[in-house]
Amino acid sequence: MKSALMEILACPACKSKLNLESPARSGDDVVSGTLRCTKCGEAYPIKDGIPNLLPPEYRDRPASSLPGAH
Amino acid sequence: MKKLFSVGETLTESVQAHYTELAERGEAAAIAGAAVASTECCSTKEVYSSEELAALTSGVTAASAGCGNPVALADLKKGEVVLDLGSGGGIDCFLAARFVGPTGRVIGVDMTLAMVGLARKNAERMDAQNVIFKMGRIEAIPERDATVDMVMSNCVINLSERKDLVFAEVFRVLKPGGRMVISDMVVDRELPPEVRADRKQWWACVGGAEVKADYLGRIRDAGLERMEVLEDVRSMIAPEGDWRSSVRSITVRAFRPV
Repeated sequence: MKSALMEILACPACKSKLNLESPARSGDDVVSGTLRCTKCGEAYPIKDGIPNLLPPEYRDRPASSLPGAH
Repeated sequence: MKKLFSVGETLTESVQAHYTELAERGEAAAIAGAAVASTECCSTKEVYSSEELAALTSGVTAASAGCGNPVALADLKKGEVVLDLGSGGGIDCFLAARFVGPTGRVIGVDMTLAMVGLARKNAERMDAQNVIFKMGRIEAIPERDATVDMVMSNCVINLSERKDLVFAEVFRVLKPGGRMVISDMVVDRELPPEVRADRKQWWACVGGAEVKADYLGRIRDAGLERMEVLEDVRSMIAPEGDWRSSVRSITVRAFRPV
């Protein structure tokens, strides 16, 4: 993930800004690290350059088990 | 190897498994430097022009599974921010990136790790600087409010069991006056229950297809306006009365009110 693109990331749960913590860089690329929400505090990992912004309730549970699914 | 879904596997998991396999085929094609015929619902040749395909690498086209060409109908301008829901190997993102240029940017969101990995590699191979891919759900888009000029999606929303949430999220991330241009599968009449219950039909972008009027109704319910169906074609050849005859591929445009 290019560090210049940080600004466009948002927390999928509360839609607030994310801060980048303990990044490992390769040139302009953030290869690993943690994205933490500035509002709700939820943490999202960056692994192999891919930010995983699956919301917490979807990480372990499929959409079909969310309330109101049909 | 084809993974057969096990007892208890959810629909989402089975969709992810299927698209992981397609991503692996895309990566294999990129390494071989050759196009692998897509077995998905529509072939790239039917959907994209030869000029568009010439601009892409084989790792992009081999993993493509679209049913329309939203970029061609999106009237993109330099500097615009584009979001692709279910970006897969990145085909529509790379096409859009040419229109928005270095001052614009294109964001691809996909729930399948292997697809995001393939798209990222494809971006490196194509040296696409203004494209970013991230793992996320289209029902909970990891974008800030009112930040996107154009939301696109190509044959993906049918795979969601919560289409209502998807369109509500599209409305939220669009700037006022921003537009959505999406291609998707719909049906003229309700599918037989056995088709709807068949996971292979979901992967094929048919099992989750909604009745067209209901689908368009959801877009309206989300608050998007000036809706227009730009394309509407029958996608399977079958005798009248056969459920296959009711399957259509549509491209819809709608705007967030100013």
